[in-house]
Amino acid sequence: MEPTTSSVHDVDGDDGTELTAAQRLAVIDAQEQATQRQLEPDPLLMLGPWGVAWLLGFGLLFLRFGPDGRTFVDLPDWLPLATLFTGLVLAATITAVLGYRSYHGIEGPSSLQGAMYGWSWFLGFGALMPIVARMGNQLPADEEGLLWGAAAVALTGVLYMAGGAVWRDRWMFALGAWIATTNVIGAMAGPGWHSLIVAVAGGGGLLLAGVTTTVVMRRRRAR
Amino acid sequence: MPELDPVIHAQGRLRALVTLATLLPGDRLTFPRMQELLDMTAGNLLTHLRKLEEADYVDVRKRSRGRSSVTSIAITPHGRSALEGYRIGLRQLLDDVPQADEAPSSTAS
Repeated sequence: MEPTTSSVHDVDGDDGTELTAAQRLAVIDAQEQATQRQLEPDPLLMLGPWGVAWLLGFGLLFLRFGPDGRTFVDLPDWLPLATLFTGLVLAATITAVLGYRSYHGIEGPSSLQGAMYGWSWFLGFGALMPIVARMGNQLPADEEGLLWGAAAVALTGVLYMAGGAVWRDRWMFALGAWIATTNVIGAMAGPGWHSLIVAVAGGGGLLLAGVTTTVVMRRRRAR
Repeated sequence: MPELDPVIHAQGRLRALVTLATLLPGDRLTFPRMQELLDMTAGNLLTHLRKLEEADYVDVRKRSRGRSSVTSIAITPHGRSALEGYRIGLRQLLDDVPQADEAPSSTAS
């Protein structure tokens, strides 16, 4: 049962009957994989930019504003925070564009879940930051910086755990738990150390989670 | 030999149904996105959807949004089981081929 040239190139006609059973199963598998690739964004691209932003931003914060007021590298005062915020804005933009590309045109329960999860980030930070700003005023500069960093990272950890619950994704939950735990250790260690721990454990954790979930996803698709 | 479903025997309709089946239950695809995922012309996809709808394999809904309207498509439970049946049928065909070849030689010996 060799397919004729016309049946191989057929996309819409009714002469598709000439395809063999094996070829039909291959058509089903190929279409399934192509659809999944387009509907699920690459986790490495969704998590990696955040990892890089944390690694660079908090890394520079540690080098400039180290533990006990030490300065390891004499950078301009504004540079570490400017790097961190630029990185976060870039990461948010990349995630938003990729998310839109994957999820647009899907309606129903999944898009409702996604929208509510997105609003949780937005409203969560909106609810937390004014409180931190008010409390931070009362603190010395290094403790104020620690409060901002630790509060933001704690909320990020919680939101990843919630995301794990929403999509029944163990890796996402583990990532959130790891971020929340290392954040507490950093906060206990104090200003400076917190930046180092968040840069290495948090930023590194985000990158590692991106790589691991990408590998797991590719393996699942290849099956 | 199992009989294969003629509705999804055309490759275009098979691909359309497979695409809808990858969505989670309850989710729908808009017409333009479905066109993009299948890389089909609008006319082509419309023809396929009409046949799939006649067989009650898909649910096509139109709602108005402002001045324009949005068409969204979902696979029906009937469509899901038809696709699963089709897949099982294909696997059985594959399994049957070697047996059919062996049958005459075993009777001859």
